[in-house]
Amino acid sequence: MTTPGTGPRPLLTVRDLRTYFRTDAGVARAVDGVSFEVMPRETIGIVGESGCGKSVTSLSIMRLIRPPGTIEPGSVVEFEGRNVLELPEGEMRQIRGNRIAMIFQEPMTSLNPVFTVGEQIAEVARVHAHATRRDARDRAVEMLQLTGIPAPAQRAREYPHQLSGGMRQRVMIAMALVMNPTLLIADEPTTALDVTIQAQILELLQQLQERFAMSIILITHDLGVIAEMAQRVLVMYAGEIVEQASVSELFARPHHPYTEGLLAAMPTLGAARSRLAVIPGTVPAPTRWPAGCRFHDRCRYAWDRPEREHPPLYEVGAAHWSRCFLAEEPARRHPLTDLKAAGGGA
Amino acid sequence: MTVVLWLVAIALAAAVAAAVGRVWARLGAGGGPWGTALSRLQRNAGGMVALRFLIFVASVAIFARWLAPFDPNVQLDIIALASRPPSLAHPFGTDIYSRDVLSRLVHGARISLAVALLAVLLSITVGTAYGAIAGYLGGRVDAVMMRVIDAMLSIPRILVLLAIFALWGRVSLGALVLILGLTGWFSTSRLVRAQVLQLKTEEMVVAARALGARHRRILWRHILPGVTSTVVVAATLGIGNVIILEAGLSFLGVGVQAPTASWGNIIADGSSNVAGMWWMSLFPGLAIVLTVMAFNIIGDALRDALDPREIQPA
Repeated sequence: MTTPGTGPRPLLTVRDLRTYFRTDAGVARAVDGVSFEVMPRETIGIVGESGCGKSVTSLSIMRLIRPPGTIEPGSVVEFEGRNVLELPEGEMRQIRGNRIAMIFQEPMTSLNPVFTVGEQIAEVARVHAHATRRDARDRAVEMLQLTGIPAPAQRAREYPHQLSGGMRQRVMIAMALVMNPTLLIADEPTTALDVTIQAQILELLQQLQERFAMSIILITHDLGVIAEMAQRVLVMYAGEIVEQASVSELFARPHHPYTEGLLAAMPTLGAARSRLAVIPGTVPAPTRWPAGCRFHDRCRYAWDRPEREHPPLYEVGAAHWSRCFLAEEPARRHPLTDLKAAGGGA
Repeated sequence: MTVVLWLVAIALAAAVAAAVGRVWARLGAGGGPWGTALSRLQRNAGGMVALRFLIFVASVAIFARWLAPFDPNVQLDIIALASRPPSLAHPFGTDIYSRDVLSRLVHGARISLAVALLAVLLSITVGTAYGAIAGYLGGRVDAVMMRVIDAMLSIPRILVLLAIFALWGRVSLGALVLILGLTGWFSTSRLVRAQVLQLKTEEMVVAARALGARHRRILWRHILPGVTSTVVVAATLGIGNVIILEAGLSFLGVGVQAPTASWGNIIADGSSNVAGMWWMSLFPGLAIVLTVMAFNIIGDALRDALDPREIQPA
């Protein structure tokens, strides 16, 4: 596995990324000091509940945060050796859709209903490669073919509403890959799809990753998707990374109680349990992250220290970090079987 | 003789209307979001009647020169032919200057429609641009731009117009269009701004930005098409409104200037003796009422047909 500081240079380095929204209700610290790296051709998964800052992280990398949101000074997003947060907007536009592309959860609302999908794919080539109308159209059909859409020339002339959900996501992928980007950010790419289509889309992404030699940041709340696709996982909670490890390490030895909870909440085939485990409560509002450990009020192990002190990231294994005082006081962890037997009750 | 001519003219206008209708029907079967909306419009019976009527009125206006049995401004025979009630030779009678009312009505359609169309074209262009910029930029720019609109909307339009014309006196047709157009865009810009505010937060716009599109391109390709239906409906209803305004102003003598015929002018010419010369107000009045009604019915039909919730069946 890739370890920071050794081996090839990372494609993307995010350092102390802070994205705050100054709203009437106060400052929402949606992303609050996130650091990670993405190596060339690597897939990393970012996992967490809704509202924990996954999407804001990806939008920040693309610099697509709109007022009242701001990326705080001191944040660094280094892509291909340049801090994109310092680039002028014009140069940033050259990167978007060209070097870094993004696909979204709901392809219906991400596509423009008044243009054919072919026109929309072709538009990317026209914006970035200044392709002629004819070349761009040919490229669009070629991309549709690459994403496995049957009769691509005919499909290119159809409107988004004439396509199925899976087909639309293929169109989004085709649009994202027109310029052969080195980094693809996939924000919940399969959440809106049913499971069989989801498997097809994930497989397609893997094939295309191979073919285009790109890195993928895969954002999801589905650990199953992560297990299938990613080499490394970041677990986010309340605007922070709370655990970071390789996929095998994370599944085998989850350290942070939140990760434990997420894993316990996964339905397992053949498990003799009638109820799914849940993590009690919800992610707190980003304007009022709890003091101390942000997870303490939902944590089954919490004691007085995490209520007062904010834990740093501890290295708890090989390339495995966890933001939990259990790294210092492992004796406070009850057996995991308790959690399962209790059904995750508070 | 004139009756025959008139019948031929009606047949001609009807033929034009039918031909346009056929092209129209083919467009509706074309598919795509606009085709879908068109076919929905075509299923609206009231809307289609109104549309046919408007096509007829427009044809009359366009071919006025050949349709009108007489020159609208020529005083035929000031002694024998002044203030005659409808007859075979003059189906809508003559006015106090012995001019043929039918001919004036036909030519008046040209002026009334052209003034309304051009004025509305101007006001929706300005209104859409203003509203789109305010909505898209948002923030302080938007706040300032909208307070200006609030101020403008707090003054009744008819008062503004009367004030302008009181200062200006006789105005050319071009100036009339300009004045009507530039006083009519405030509410359109508000509608457009509200729509843009909503559209710019759509995932589609974020997706376009994520693909590296410029603001200009996003406004043009992703936001303005979403505003089109609102603007089309506002424009259609606006035309009816401006026809009434123009007629009112011309009736008051400050709009279209004599001897040029407009529907309001003709009524004004007969206003000294409405009861005695009923044909002077009845026919142009009917023309105004029917045309404005048709525009309003079409506007409502378009509103239903272009409903964005139905324009993209999931």
